[in-house]
Amino acid sequence: MIERRSTSRIVFVSIFVLLVMGGLAYRLLSLHLGISATDRDHVARIRRVERLLRERRGRIYDGSRDANILALDLEVKDVIADPSILLANNELELATEQIAEVAGLDEAEVMGALDRPGRRYARVCRNMQDEQSEAIRDLGLRGISLRDATKRYYPHNSFMCHVIGFLNGEGVGGSGVEQGMNGFLRGCPGLVESVVDGRRRELYDRRVQDIPAKTGADICLTLDQNVQYMAERALDEVMERHGAKGAWVIVERVRTGEIVAMASRPSYDLNDFGAASQEELLNRAIGFVYEPGSTMKALSIAAALNERIAERDTILNCEDGAWLHQGKVLRDYHPYGRLTVADIVKKSSNIGTAKLTVSLGAQKLSEYLTRFGIGSKTGIDLPGEEQGILHPVRRWSRISCSRIGIGQGVSVTALQMLNALCAIANDGVVMRPYIVSRVVSSDGVVLHEGRPKEVGRAISSQTASIMRQLLSRVTEAGGTGTRARVRNYSVAGKTGTAQKPIDGGYSSSAYVASFVGFVPADAPELGIIVVVDEPQPLHTGGVVAAPAFSTIASEALSYFDIPVPRIHDGTEIASTH
Amino acid sequence: METGRYLRLLRRMNWTILGSIIVLAVVGVLFVRSACYSNIVEDQSAVRYQKQVMWSIVGFVCLIGFTLVDYRKLARHAWWAYGAAVFLLILVLLVGRTVHGGRRWLWFMGIGFQPAEFAKVAVIILLAWIMGLKTFRTDSYSSAVLVLAVVGIPTLLVSRQPDVGTAAVFVPVIFTMMFVAGFSWRILLSLILVGVVVVSVFVGALFLPAKLGCSPETQARITKVTGAKPYHRQRIETFLHPDSDPLGAGWSRMQSEIAVGSGGLWGKGYLNGTANILGFLPRTVAPTDFIFSVVAEEAGFAGALTVLCLFGATIAGGIRVAAAASDRLGRLLCIGVVTMLFTHVFVNVAMTVGRLPITGLPLPLMSSGGSITVTTLIGLGIVQSVYVRRRIIRY
Repeated sequence: MIERRSTSRIVFVSIFVLLVMGGLAYRLLSLHLGISATDRDHVARIRRVERLLRERRGRIYDGSRDANILALDLEVKDVIADPSILLANNELELATEQIAEVAGLDEAEVMGALDRPGRRYARVCRNMQDEQSEAIRDLGLRGISLRDATKRYYPHNSFMCHVIGFLNGEGVGGSGVEQGMNGFLRGCPGLVESVVDGRRRELYDRRVQDIPAKTGADICLTLDQNVQYMAERALDEVMERHGAKGAWVIVERVRTGEIVAMASRPSYDLNDFGAASQEELLNRAIGFVYEPGSTMKALSIAAALNERIAERDTILNCEDGAWLHQGKVLRDYHPYGRLTVADIVKKSSNIGTAKLTVSLGAQKLSEYLTRFGIGSKTGIDLPGEEQGILHPVRRWSRISCSRIGIGQGVSVTALQMLNALCAIANDGVVMRPYIVSRVVSSDGVVLHEGRPKEVGRAISSQTASIMRQLLSRVTEAGGTGTRARVRNYSVAGKTGTAQKPIDGGYSSSAYVASFVGFVPADAPELGIIVVVDEPQPLHTGGVVAAPAFSTIASEALSYFDIPVPRIHDGTEIASTH
Repeated sequence: METGRYLRLLRRMNWTILGSIIVLAVVGVLFVRSACYSNIVEDQSAVRYQKQVMWSIVGFVCLIGFTLVDYRKLARHAWWAYGAAVFLLILVLLVGRTVHGGRRWLWFMGIGFQPAEFAKVAVIILLAWIMGLKTFRTDSYSSAVLVLAVVGIPTLLVSRQPDVGTAAVFVPVIFTMMFVAGFSWRILLSLILVGVVVVSVFVGALFLPAKLGCSPETQARITKVTGAKPYHRQRIETFLHPDSDPLGAGWSRMQSEIAVGSGGLWGKGYLNGTANILGFLPRTVAPTDFIFSVVAEEAGFAGALTVLCLFGATIAGGIRVAAAASDRLGRLLCIGVVTMLFTHVFVNVAMTVGRLPITGLPLPLMSSGGSITVTTLIGLGIVQSVYVRRRIIRY
């Protein structure tokens, strides 16, 4: 027989069961009605994945027919580590030893990167090439992995370094074309936004976004690797022979303003730009401001001729080498008596030139120099250009008018000087120099094209023609620039030897020697400037810079296959160009 | 004719219970398939749910068999079953196979089974027989001690595996059986008091040494003496502060809650649960301990509530059978089986919805697993056996 107590207790149990099941159902309902917003966000975050796709930066090519690659991205690997795994497996020493051996690194360095207890990420080394990274993978170390990366690589190291420039650690161009054209060169990273499963594998059919990475545009320079090579070799020779502090050269096409070569010394290795000093990083061709000295005479005499202050055969008294003007004595390097304007150019007489500029007047002189581009940036498409110093006339002193014309009390960059002389070669028209010939996007669209651009006319075509004749006499017998001569071609140009200004006076031992000119003299194609900073002990432009000019000019003329002018009757030289 | 008698008996079965558990078993098989569906190796899923089909069939055959066997004859052999269960529990400790850190499996002719599940039924039968004896006194401490001794041996053996979750199931089962058997409140309350003390000591052993700043050696010694393991502590801490380690121990629980909560009213559709199919719900436990969250995600609130109601119907049916039993033995057998079922359902579902720590108790009839399926159906067969031999109340 079953007791009544038992039955009542069964009722008790039933009620209990009912309550508990009801409680579960209620909890179920509340979960279904809504999980908390933070939980939902958290879950969404766990399930979503965003990945950046690496972009490739555009390449830089030279302007020669071969389109040589000057800068490109390489696929490399970074070696990364999870130090906690290494420590947990007690493989720290083993890993250090093996990686150091394979990668050719210092063991202490590797140990320093790996021995970080509590860290889950460490970068052991960057930019591993294929063979090395494969060797590291083959080691099969737990906690060591490879990550894809790109590295900017410059195949020619220091060659053309100042023009190309480098890519800094943040992936932004730090100088040269890399900096100036960064907007074109840099690509755009792609983005994949997707959903992952519990093992963090991507579910491809649920991709939210898939934007492919965009490769940067390629830059084609006007620079020609071969001419550049000639220029750099000549520079190295000058640096060595004359023990100079620095030297720089620019080769420009006079008709268009295209820069064919531009080099500066001292230079640095683009693949190791971190080791370069400020001195080495400076592109002196556009960033070094110096007093030009006699090369300036080409411009001031052109101004005087253009204003008809004198004719080419006008005779001036050169005062036997010392002229007292406005209470100051102006001297010539060699004393001369009476010289024609043509001979003033040829012999580079300070006194003769000064007399012409004084007659021209400060206002006119300043005007002409400004028109030639002195005192303002040329506008070349390279960062780091200086504008030089040409004070406004109201700040000129009593003697400024006589000194600025001979290149004292005025400062220029080599590019300004060359571009001004190229204007004389180009029938008086100043061109804007440029260095980027084409920007082509990764899908073949030309985004930008460098075109010759006239800045303005400095002198008349007739004056320019006369000046070409006068300047070509500089390299003839008795002139200051005979060493700039090129076999079979006539060369027009001007030497410059300037004392460097120090503390309000001029140094007696530090000079800037230069030669600027163009070839062929009668049908000009190439303008070239060579500047040498503090050559020792020889220091005149005619001795130091002119030979380098000659070397570069003769090689470039034959490289470009510029025809040798045929001589008709001894005085007139014609050219097929 | 024997056959005729059997058929007559079978026609007297409790159809509420039978119907509910058939539906539950079918739903269970379907969702075990879904829970394994996402596995990379496709045939592994097939094997798992085919096995579940096989075990369910075996279980229902056992159910019919135990329905036909008179529970009173069965109970007379309870000591043999109990002896066998204890023997197997000792055997499993000696030669058992270790899975997930617990030595729970015995392998016999290529089939693995868990003696602990079998032991639950054996203990219920033996205790029901003891407490059902005419001479059994429900007002003496000595009989309470006898009951505790009978339960204590297998409970200790199971907790040595270690499987504290399964061992803990004995507690409510035995208590309810004693309650319904008619033990006096005095004895029941003293038992509760003892229980509270034991639990306090265990929890204290888990948390106090670290809190009091004992040395690691002391902590280790306390752990060894009391059997409190660091993972117990971790699970409780995870339960109390699920956000403390969302990617580690708290992961399963949170993902389970999300799975349940994201199902909506009608669910995401069969084989379409993202938490399940995409593997956010840990693969290893989805078809077993977390099968209910798979159901809740894919069949929604409606599906989950239906499953809960089916369990409710089974349990209510079982209680009704207990009330209708013709003797105390039958009544206690039913109460024991029903409480076992209820405890499993409650602990499992509460864990799934984040209301209890993760214990690793399966959901009977639905979770993938042979031992639990077969023993549950054997238990329900005994319930049916009691029902077909019930008192006929004539009005």
